[in-house]
Amino acid sequence: MASKAVKTLITPLGKENPVFVQILGICSTLAVTNKLENTIVMVLGVIFTTTLSSFTFSILRKVIPARIRMMVETLIIATYVIIVDIVLKAYMPEIWQQLGPYVGLIITNCIVMGRMEAFAASNPPGLSLIDGLASGIGYGYVLLIIAFFRELLGSGTILGFSVFGDWWTNWSIMVMAPGAFFVLAIFIWVVKGRMEE
Amino acid sequence: MKQVSFFSERIKPVIIMAVITIICISLVSGIHLSTQELVIANEGLVLKKAVLYAAGVEIPSGNAEVNELYEERVEEQMDESGDVYIVYGEGGSTGGEIEAYAFIAPGPGLWGEIEMLAAFMPDLKTFAGIDFIKQNETPGLGARITEAWFKEQLRGKQPPLVMNPEGTESSASTEIDAITGASRTSDFVLSIFNEAGLRAAELEKEGM
Repeated sequence: MASKAVKTLITPLGKENPVFVQILGICSTLAVTNKLENTIVMVLGVIFTTTLSSFTFSILRKVIPARIRMMVETLIIATYVIIVDIVLKAYMPEIWQQLGPYVGLIITNCIVMGRMEAFAASNPPGLSLIDGLASGIGYGYVLLIIAFFRELLGSGTILGFSVFGDWWTNWSIMVMAPGAFFVLAIFIWVVKGRMEE
Repeated sequence: MKQVSFFSERIKPVIIMAVITIICISLVSGIHLSTQELVIANEGLVLKKAVLYAAGVEIPSGNAEVNELYEERVEEQMDESGDVYIVYGEGGSTGGEIEAYAFIAPGPGLWGEIEMLAAFMPDLKTFAGIDFIKQNETPGLGARITEAWFKEQLRGKQPPLVMNPEGTESSASTEIDAITGASRTSDFVLSIFNEAGLRAAELEKEGM
């Protein structure tokens, strides 16, 4: 049991990473990674949602008839995402304003529903919680690495603090969506090359 | 083949779905209601800070102090086309002189509506300053309209304005700097500035 829990925790971080192996959640990877601060909030929102959605769905998995399974999944995800949205709006209004519609779009993040379907639907709540958490972290650290390079090269700053100073010319492409494609592609190339070795 | 009863095939899924929906909605509504006051206060505070900033009043750090200063210095007046915020100098609305007239100037942006707060000097021709209340422009590009240098350059400018490339450090009273890499956003905000100028001229005609 313990070894299964450890395995569940570790695989989404590397071998079955949702972003660079399963290529899921790319939409938000492109959208929110141009500023590290926004990315951190987005990542926390996704981790919260995947963890609790998988956990909740796993508790209910034996009660829910197969034909309404996906409707229930969407409803559970939407509930948690709206909770994140409301809490941000109340306690972190400035970040909420910057993230705009992207918080709501966590609902459509394939990782959340993907883990519920692939794992939580056939595993006990404890393991599902670990799987949801690990998938969220696996998604999150990739986003943070991408955001780090995009903000550094695109704005010359890290978390809003100037790193390069005045001599640096910002790479505008890095703060636009295509910049994320380049950084993500390079990231996948480097990581996959390492994995194959 | 296993026989499935009508109840478990048709009725049970509906009941379960309804129960889960009710639980989820209650949860979300509960959290919404418990944070509603805070959300409204936040929205009010954003507007109050914008009015004070645009009028060139120094904003205190605490929220309670902002509310207090706003109460003292700003008078809200209903106008046919929206609220006008009259900002008074030291002495407040009872003894101070009028420093600025402010109003909300909305307009389209690249991804969504931009809501700007425009403050004009008492002549209603010169910008006292501006602030953005709502915008969804591209972070790092169009969203740079919220950076201090961009907003500060409006102080003392007289619409209709024209834009120069970023870095020109436009000094003429009808010229401002645009944002590199955000031509569309720059165009949108320029038209909001100029529309605001027209609205200010109307206020002057109304005898403000």
